[in-house]
Amino acid sequence: MKGGSNLEKVLEGGYFAVTAEVGPPKGTSTSVIQKKGDLLKSYCDAMNVTDNQTAIVRMSSLSGCVILKEMGIDPVMQMVVRDRNRIAIQSDILGAVALGIRNILCLSGDHHKFGNHPTAKCVYDIDSIQFVQALKTMRDEKKFLCGEDISGEVPLFIGAVENPFADPFEYRVTRLAKKVRAGADFIQTQAVYDVNKFARWMEMLRDQGLDKQVHILAGVIPIKSVGMARYMRDNVSGVSVPNEIVTRLEDAKNVREEGVKITLEIIEQLKEIDGIHGIHIMAVAWEDIVPNIVERASLLPRPIL
Amino acid sequence: MIVGKQKPFEEIWDMIKNFKKVLVFGCNTCVAICHAGGGKEAEILASMLRIKASQEGLEMEIKQAAIERHCEPEFFEPVMDDVRTSDVVLSLACGVGVNFLSERIGSIPVYPGINTEFYGAVPKAGIFTELCAGCGNCILHVTGGICPIARCAKSLMNGPCGGTNNGKCEISQDVDCAWYLILERMKKLGTLEKLSEIKPPRDWSTGMYGGPRRIVLEHIADSEAQAEKKDS
Amino acid sequence: MYAAKRVTYAKKLLSTVGIDPARLEMYNLSAAMGPKWAEICTEFTERIRKLGPSPIWLAICRQSGMKRSEE
Repeated sequence: MKGGSNLEKVLEGGYFAVTAEVGPPKGTSTSVIQKKGDLLKSYCDAMNVTDNQTAIVRMSSLSGCVILKEMGIDPVMQMVVRDRNRIAIQSDILGAVALGIRNILCLSGDHHKFGNHPTAKCVYDIDSIQFVQALKTMRDEKKFLCGEDISGEVPLFIGAVENPFADPFEYRVTRLAKKVRAGADFIQTQAVYDVNKFARWMEMLRDQGLDKQVHILAGVIPIKSVGMARYMRDNVSGVSVPNEIVTRLEDAKNVREEGVKITLEIIEQLKEIDGIHGIHIMAVAWEDIVPNIVERASLLPRPIL
Repeated sequence: MIVGKQKPFEEIWDMIKNFKKVLVFGCNTCVAICHAGGGKEAEILASMLRIKASQEGLEMEIKQAAIERHCEPEFFEPVMDDVRTSDVVLSLACGVGVNFLSERIGSIPVYPGINTEFYGAVPKAGIFTELCAGCGNCILHVTGGICPIARCAKSLMNGPCGGTNNGKCEISQDVDCAWYLILERMKKLGTLEKLSEIKPPRDWSTGMYGGPRRIVLEHIADSEAQAEKKDS
Repeated sequence: MYAAKRVTYAKKLLSTVGIDPARLEMYNLSAAMGPKWAEICTEFTERIRKLGPSPIWLAICRQSGMKRSEE
């Protein structure tokens, strides 16, 4: 075991993993996180806590993870390189490990231009691939980026993200290979709506044998409304929402139910793709739908390891 | 001006040694003033590369050229034949020049022969100092004409920090504390009271932190486009 | 002195490309110092002779020799 987390055990045990996302509050309340934790606890193997997602200030990911950890939930600490230099990153990692966090998801982070502090200075001292590599070195060689020794063990299950739908499509596999080479143990992808394109990406990935080296968890975002579908199609860069999905929602009597159906169909197709080891459900502001989806997708009960 | 410094010779050699036809291409504006990449430096570097090539037993054709500016299109015409027949262009212009030229001739590699360092002045011949950070939001009128963004190691807006040591910065005895200089200057200007105000967090988006910048002067850009239309 | 500094710099450049900087020297002389001039010339010629053929010249010979054998 590299980190010894529940997520790692599930994936290494060959189970189809389910992870969910928990956004911390724009405030100091622990109960927001506890409620989401309680709601999702029996329906997933680990929960990602986002790190100032879309550059909007929220409670720190580390605190959110500790709150979940205390509830017996396996947290995945998301960490972006937008707001921290290599000193702060390594320091926060040591702190997270000390507090029992074992899964780290390394991201670049959305540019703060779209957040609620657009005049801030961004950091981007190291990039997400260098971040993954740094964590691997910290864990396997017990060394900091500068080469100095770390005292104590650094058990980590290292995650990274990839967007198979961003341009240029051909380069996306090369970039994933770089992340795997840097040390990623698992990958959570951007939300999949265009399953055919995603399957093509997976095929390219299998051609390089990457599916044998890393656990791929396909991202899923249930769509709640027609407006959300249109917004994601038109305004979220790197997400490709096929028009037929938007049309289906427009024509539906019960939009939410149609959204869930679409999500379930996508999950069914994803399960069939060779090399997919799980799904990551990002039900932004619609967390209470996750139990419904997981149950109807026949992903229950979650393994207890 | 933009201050640059020639890269170590070995680094340059490693970049170009596998090419047959090399053009060492100088720029006679900023980087000529700092003796890093003007026509004269291009000639010297080309000679050194020729000597090196002969020592290594490599048959290379190393030419040199220089133009007035690498950041505007009209200056390139006289040398474009030499540029297009090269296998590699070793540009001694600043990073702007390297970007701009490689955009023009996509199929030939353009490599940087200098490191572009900063916006600076020449207080004495052979000495170059960084004075401006190009942050897009100048505040020199409230800091006595001394820029804390470029010249304070922490870019503080309400300095000096506790690391000031006899007017020097904590990072080095060779670096002046910008805020010490600002205080002294404001004393002389009789505007010291301005410094008692708390300066709020800065808008960094006007600088590089807001993404790559672009300025469009419509009264000029438009008329040029119209002139082009007329010509065609 | 400016010229002296430039010569020191040129010596550095030469050693970078594998040429012994001893092959370049600057002497301060006035037009009236004929005998000293002659002495320096002899001395410098002797130094260069001891250093042997210029590596640049050798390299060129090697190259043209190679060419000839190829032909």
